Amino acid sequence: MTTTIRTGVVAAARVVDAVKVYGTGDTEVRALDGVSVDFPAGRFTAIMGPSGSGKSTLMHCAAGLDTLTSGSALIGDTNLSALDDRRLTLLRRQRIGFVFQAFNLIPTLTVAENITLPIDLAGERGDREWIDALIDTVGLRDRLHHRPSELSGGQQQRVAVARAFAGNPDVVFADEPTGNLDSRAGQEVLRLLGRTVRRTSRTVVMVTHDPVAAAHADEVVFLADGRLVDRMPDPTAERVLDRLKAFDPSPGATAVTP
Amino acid sequence: MTGARASVRLSVSSLRAHKRRFAGTFTAVLLGVSFLAGTLVMGDTLRAGFDTMFANAAGGTDAVVRSTNVVTVSGEGQGTRQPVSTTLVKTIEQTPGVAAAAPDIQGAGQLIGADGKPIGGQGPPTVAGNWIQDPKLNPYKLAEGRAPSRSGEVVINRGTADRGGLKIGDTTVLRTPDPVRVTVVGLATFGGEDGMGQATYTGMTQADAEKYLTPKPGEASSIQVRAGPGTSQQELVDALTPVLPADTEAITGQASAAENQSMISGAFLSLFTTLLLVFSGIVLLVATFSIHNTFAIVVAQRTRENALLRALGASRRQVLGSTLVEATAVGVLASAAGLAGGIGIAAGLQALFPAVGFPFPDGALVISGISLLLPLAVGVLVCLGSALLPAVHAGRTAPLAALRETAVDDSAASRTRAVTGVLLLLAALGAILIGVLAHPSVWPSAAGAILALAAFVVLGPAASTYAVRILGAPLDRLRGVTGALARRNALRSPKRTAATATALMIGVAVVSLFTVFGASLKATMNQTVDRSFAGDVAISAPVFGAGGSGLSPALAPAVGRLPEVSTAVGLGKGVAEVNGAGRALTVTDPAALARVFDLGPVSGSMNALGPNGIAVSGAEAAERGLHTGSTARLTFTDGKQQTFTVRAVYDRSELAGTYVITRQAWAPHRAQDSDRLIAVSFKDGVSTADGKAAVEKTAAAYGSPDVQTRGEYARSSAGSIDMMLTLVYALLALAVLIALLGIANTLTLAIHERTRELGLLRAVGQTRSQLRTMVRWESVLVAAFGTAGGLLLGGFLGWVLVKASEGAGDTPFAFALPPTRLLVVALVGITAGALAGWRPARRAARLDVLRAIAAD
Repeated sequence: MTTTIRTGVVAAARVVDAVKVYGTGDTEVRALDGVSVDFPAGRFTAIMGPSGSGKSTLMHCAAGLDTLTSGSALIGDTNLSALDDRRLTLLRRQRIGFVFQAFNLIPTLTVAENITLPIDLAGERGDREWIDALIDTVGLRDRLHHRPSELSGGQQQRVAVARAFAGNPDVVFADEPTGNLDSRAGQEVLRLLGRTVRRTSRTVVMVTHDPVAAAHADEVVFLADGRLVDRMPDPTAERVLDRLKAFDPSPGATAVTP
Repeated sequence: MTGARASVRLSVSSLRAHKRRFAGTFTAVLLGVSFLAGTLVMGDTLRAGFDTMFANAAGGTDAVVRSTNVVTVSGEGQGTRQPVSTTLVKTIEQTPGVAAAAPDIQGAGQLIGADGKPIGGQGPPTVAGNWIQDPKLNPYKLAEGRAPSRSGEVVINRGTADRGGLKIGDTTVLRTPDPVRVTVVGLATFGGEDGMGQATYTGMTQADAEKYLTPKPGEASSIQVRAGPGTSQQELVDALTPVLPADTEAITGQASAAENQSMISGAFLSLFTTLLLVFSGIVLLVATFSIHNTFAIVVAQRTRENALLRALGASRRQVLGSTLVEATAVGVLASAAGLAGGIGIAAGLQALFPAVGFPFPDGALVISGISLLLPLAVGVLVCLGSALLPAVHAGRTAPLAALRETAVDDSAASRTRAVTGVLLLLAALGAILIGVLAHPSVWPSAAGAILALAAFVVLGPAASTYAVRILGAPLDRLRGVTGALARRNALRSPKRTAATATALMIGVAVVSLFTVFGASLKATMNQTVDRSFAGDVAISAPVFGAGGSGLSPALAPAVGRLPEVSTAVGLGKGVAEVNGAGRALTVTDPAALARVFDLGPVSGSMNALGPNGIAVSGAEAAERGLHTGSTARLTFTDGKQQTFTVRAVYDRSELAGTYVITRQAWAPHRAQDSDRLIAVSFKDGVSTADGKAAVEKTAAAYGSPDVQTRGEYARSSAGSIDMMLTLVYALLALAVLIALLGIANTLTLAIHERTRELGLLRAVGQTRSQLRTMVRWESVLVAAFGTAGGLLLGGFLGWVLVKASEGAGDTPFAFALPPTRLLVVALVGITAGALAGWRPARRAARLDVLRAIAAD
């Protein structure tokens, strides 16, 4: 409902009056109902909310994977609704990184090839020093020539993180990146995301339903019923859990990690 | 009972849910069955049509009187029969029960069309004869105009008139082989059709026929007899037999018609339908591989579903059963559709043939039980057979597999497979070595070829890994990561890649086999002319089939009198039984022959064979136990026997034939006289161009036969070989099409499997066009693998075929690999791969990114 626009901080990505409607008539569902939010550059933002709150839809629309019914989504100054499929694809390739919940890697490519995939698709050489540093950061130097099937789930997600940052994107979107991992491997991936943001001033937007995961972010935005209901800077797991309980009589149902 | 019903219910719901997956299988079976059913129906219809036609044509003839002296040369249809005397007609007419009798003179006569070119002559016979005035005895019926009454007037069959652009009142030339000016006064039909197949017919007055078509007047090929009312055909024959001289017989009209029919059915229709059946076999074999692959993939993709069924209590048999029921359902449906398609094809051809000048007999399509049941059974069996192994696999699914990720079988070749493959290959090589080198013959070679095919199929998965790596190597550099992805996708499941490519491999192998064999035939002809023909130009009559009328025997002496020419020798054809076996004889001037042909080493001399000497080729002499100085007894078509002395044995028979006899010796026994080839050598200092021009000028007066230089003569056989190859290519196009459907189908299934991966690629920045490129290149790689394997196998088997043929015959056979044609085959295979990938690529590119990522 209320959005705080921080002056002086540039938004890496934002949505303005975002509305997303699925279906028509009786079956109409308003997944996003007039959301305006900015994701400031150099920050790690988590999107939280109960199931069906529209958090995934918000991320997909902000990242150009889905289109809004009305309103606009912007990466930097680029309005995504003005782009055709090809330009949108090029934008995703050059300015956005992705980490999905599972199945992040191409099984036929090695770890190294997976990391440089977006750069290779663009036919560019990329920033080799940066990629080298990334490989060390994610700690997979000895696995570079392995196939994804030879890695553990946590290792696979770390490769995905490295790929997401490899092309120096404006913003990295992570969709439940720890959803399929045990808590130790999950922690490692989250620390990796946080460390990369802080050390190298990258921007990450992460959708999660796990308060512990959200606590790694600089700020949490809360969504409910397709609307932005709150923002919480410098979150902790307890405060996030408490905030979530306020949405739902039985918060455990949504707040407990599966 | 209920278990079986559950299986059926599962199959039906699965079929309904996966219609798209089975579309390829369905189409492959449909096309194969259509081809087979179409062939059978067309064969039956043609046969019935010809039967009706002959029955109609010969309906008025109750008995045929002919000589019993006949010489049959193996490989030639009817044999050569001694003529009968026309004076017999009187005797026959006076026999009780006879209503009418007429001599029937049959010879060769080639008509020249309005455009100055000969009509027909490439295969079907060009018949000339006397126009029989009694309409009931004449198999040809006058349709327009009138019968010939004066010398030079002729009736021709309507089909020939149409093809040659001739109409009533036109004057043209008939080569008998001496050119005769004739005027068309009437058009005729045969048994209700415009002609007897593609054969041309010219009916002349009896006097003309005796003058031009028989060696001496008063002779006829046979005498046609009609019975009076109340006399049966058999009674007529019984009445005639006592009054006929020795060496003459009477047969019923029905028996005569049956002989003619069986000649057409045997020589032409059987060859035609056998050829088509062989090709439908190839098509179905290709389809089998395609279908097997589809079932294997579908079963692999359903592992989880099947495991869940097993976990829920379905028995192994029920899971196996449901897959087999599915296969049967697809087989029955597709075969039924294929039957309809086949009947459609036959009906279409029936309508199309007359349009291209081939009179397809009228009448309803003949659809026998066999032509329905056989394709149906084959279609269902192909489907069931293809599904059997995958079904057994499905039955073996462990219930626990439900909990695992769907695993695509990415194992390459197992040790057993490699060992089996290598053993098969060794066995193939062994059989081929025996067939080609040790005891040259066709059977071990054929067995070797089949073993080689099996070895290629078994070794496919092992080979695919290496082949795709090598073939796809340039892709990384060419297309970057998109190319690398395409290559690795093709490498992903070697078994699947190999199975997909195998169908195409078989198709391409057969294409290359024929291509190589055709080129080798041409090379052989070149080589033959090179080493055996020492002359400068050749005048040749069509060499293909029974057509044409040959060359005038007066032409060779006329050419020989030209100032430019040193030797001109004509080669005529005769037949005789040599020590009891029918053989073709070359009738010529042996001394001149030896000057113009290089006969290789000759023992004895060709210069003085005389009226009672013959020359024999070395191979024939060895086989028949003849040598210089030995004697051979020849029985001619007139029943006369004469003992000849072998005066020469020569080495090279490819142009001269196996027996050479002088004109002098042949003259008493000859029929219509003609040469099949005239070989000419020029005097020193005469250029080929000048000499050829002079010969052509002389030949113009003899119906302008082709005058060819050595090179042209060697190439003259290329035309018919190319025609044969074109037909083979057209027939094999269907097999290649099915193979491509298989590739497209496999790709579609693979894309379905990789939905999430494709979504991910799109999300991280692969454009639609990059994705399409990736899928298409995968398709191209699979096709390239199949094509490469096919070229290798086809080329090798082509070599085997050439070597085995050489071993089986006694003439040398050259082996040739035609680079341009094989390159075209390779390009067509690869381009077709790109086409096969088109639709799957488009479908893949249209995937919604989000939904693809979320896909299960």
